Amino acid sequence: MTSIQKKIWLLASVVLSIMAAIWIALTYYNQKSQDQYNDILQRYLRMNEVTIASQQLVAALNNYLRSPTPKQMEELQAREDTLRQTKFEVQSLRNTDNDFELSNYVHLIDSLVGTTDRSLLLFQEEKDAEASGKAFSEATRIAMYISEMTLTLIDKELNTYDRFYRGIIEQSEALKRLGMWLLLLITFLLALFTYWFSLSITRPVLTLIQAAKELSRGRFDLKIEVASNDEISFLAKMFDRMRININNLIVEIQEKAQLEKELQQSKLLLQESQLRSLQSQINPHFLFNTLDTISKKAYLEGSEETSDLLVNVADLLRYNLKRLDRSVTLYDEVRVLRQYIEIQMARFSERLQFYTEIDESCLHVQMPGLTLQPIVENAVIHSIEPREEGGVIWFRVIDGPDRVTLEIEDDGPGIADHKVRGIMEEHTFETEGHSTGIGFSNVVKRLRLFYGIPDVLDIESVAGSGTKIVLKLPKIRGSEAYVQDLDRG
Amino acid sequence: MRKTAMIVLGLIAVVLCYFTFVSAGEAFRADWPLPRALDEQQARYRLLLITQELETPFWNKVGDGALEQAKKVDANLQVWGSYGRNEDDFLKKIEIAITSKVDGIIVQGLDTAEFKELTKIQAGLYGIPVITVANDVPMQESLRRTYVGSDHYSAGRMIGRELAADMGPAGTVVLIGDSRQQYYQKQRLDGIQNVLKNYPDIVTVYAETADARESVIAAAGDVMNRFPDTDAFIAVNANIVEALVQAIGKRFQIKPYHIYSFDDSPESLSLLKEGKLDGMIEQSPEVMGRLSVDLMVKWLNGETIPLDMNGYYTDIHMLKAMDAP
Repeated sequence: MTSIQKKIWLLASVVLSIMAAIWIALTYYNQKSQDQYNDILQRYLRMNEVTIASQQLVAALNNYLRSPTPKQMEELQAREDTLRQTKFEVQSLRNTDNDFELSNYVHLIDSLVGTTDRSLLLFQEEKDAEASGKAFSEATRIAMYISEMTLTLIDKELNTYDRFYRGIIEQSEALKRLGMWLLLLITFLLALFTYWFSLSITRPVLTLIQAAKELSRGRFDLKIEVASNDEISFLAKMFDRMRININNLIVEIQEKAQLEKELQQSKLLLQESQLRSLQSQINPHFLFNTLDTISKKAYLEGSEETSDLLVNVADLLRYNLKRLDRSVTLYDEVRVLRQYIEIQMARFSERLQFYTEIDESCLHVQMPGLTLQPIVENAVIHSIEPREEGGVIWFRVIDGPDRVTLEIEDDGPGIADHKVRGIMEEHTFETEGHSTGIGFSNVVKRLRLFYGIPDVLDIESVAGSGTKIVLKLPKIRGSEAYVQDLDRG
Repeated sequence: MRKTAMIVLGLIAVVLCYFTFVSAGEAFRADWPLPRALDEQQARYRLLLITQELETPFWNKVGDGALEQAKKVDANLQVWGSYGRNEDDFLKKIEIAITSKVDGIIVQGLDTAEFKELTKIQAGLYGIPVITVANDVPMQESLRRTYVGSDHYSAGRMIGRELAADMGPAGTVVLIGDSRQQYYQKQRLDGIQNVLKNYPDIVTVYAETADARESVIAAAGDVMNRFPDTDAFIAVNANIVEALVQAIGKRFQIKPYHIYSFDDSPESLSLLKEGKLDGMIEQSPEVMGRLSVDLMVKWLNGETIPLDMNGYYTDIHMLKAMDAP
């Protein structure tokens, strides 16, 4: 049986048992007073019976004396028996109050029977009609006394039972009052009980409705709690589980959307850099050929240094155009970096001092193309270009257990804190004179996307004494998906 | 708010419960004092005191005394009787008592043939002992066991002596009595005359009257007409004294007369208090009641057999107007 049904059964049985209790009490009481009424009536009837029986006896005697037939005699005997019978019945009515009268009464009956017998005896045996008649008149008188005594007894009865009768009347009044109060009390209690009971059913439902409303408004984080032990609480539990599931699904979807968004962003980023590279791709063959031609011409004219410089520029340009959307090895990057430095050396001559410490064993590490060049270019722009006396740039490749550490250090004025934070949070700044048009933040973004870990790049900058940019490249790529995605796009 | 509502509801519930329980207690209370039912007649003597004059001070006292004694000896006694000397009713009561076979009848003696017939023949037939109280009927006529009450002869003597002392040895005395000539009245008369005959100068006049009020007044008037120099009245039967005083009062001042009577009428004491009576014989009704019951029970128990035929006299004394409170 389910528990709401149980509750309803409980209510019904409580009401039923109250009604049954009242019914039983009233029936019992009714029966009791009915018995009492019967007893009282019985008493009166018995007393009256005596009067009637005695009068009948006298009448029968009279009839017999007038016409002494056996039939009349029989009748007389029957009457006498009846009177004796009633006498015994009347004996049982004795109580402390009417003891005296009742004794008199019983003796009167005896006297009547005795006198009747005497009259009969005189009539039959001694044929003394006169004496018999006298006895008969005496019997008549006694019968009269009996009926008077009956009245006296009934009177006495009324007096004795007066309080009892009044009690019965009062009791029936009290019963009426009781009925009223009982009705009020039961109504009140039932109202309370029903209220409580209906509340115990509807409150969980209301809670559930509230919860459903919240859900429909889109709030999935509110826990649904129903403190009851019926089906509603079961429903609520199921509902809550559903909410949790939906919540989980939504979180998942949100995460996916986030991922998608990031992907989209990286694509946009890529397209941007491609666009830039395309912009700078203005007739590259013509530019390369021209640069080659100028290089040969410079070589022929004996200016070998200029010729090498031009070859470097051409290589750098070619690399720039070609390698942006591929992963390359550290080796390639370092080579391009050297070419770039050579060009810059030609520009700044002794103002730029470039030192490298390279662990050759880790040059096979994969990394996104055009990563080092923009960083170093950044260092050149900020710490060499503005300073008359020039500056120093260190480049180190240090092997680690699972990562390769690249350090690019300069002794320039440093980068402001807010700028560092901006870079780390991948905000785009206006790029100042970058040759490839690829900014620092672009590099950071691509590195993170490439490896799928956030702490690839670190900037340690002290104002006025230099900046150190540390790249920690994992030897094994975390995110292979990146490249695949790039290939597809 | 919620707390207030709870308190109010709780109060209502308590009040309703209280009233319900109170009325339930009333409705289902079953402690009415019903007389205890008896299966057998109790082995107590059923005695009856029967008088002609119920609810008079004198007989109330007799009844009280009797009831008190009955209670003491655990006998069942009831006082029956007629009101205002209704003889038929009185006799009927005696007959009922006899046919009811009570154990003993204590009865105010009545000097009539019917009474004697009842006590002698009927009571004899059923074997019921009869004791006369206050007023006697001669033993040989009524077959009573004994008599309990005042010695009316000596009461008469007492009143005669008192009269002689008050009035002096000369004068006219009117004795007025009931025409029915009851036994006790005769004794009283005998007593008075027995004393007064020693005073040759005192003339006694005897007048009789029926006990109806008008005839008393008429008889008194008649006597006063015939003997205008009357000095004293003695109402030999107390029942006529009130009418007598009224009759005298109509004609003369009551003061100069010496009026005497007995206490066994309802009016006697009040007349004495008013000073209209000079003296009356006071009897001992309580003692009569007590003694009669006591004797009856003793007789029934077989403790005192036989009872004194002449009777047991109770105390009498003279009560004068000046002694009265």
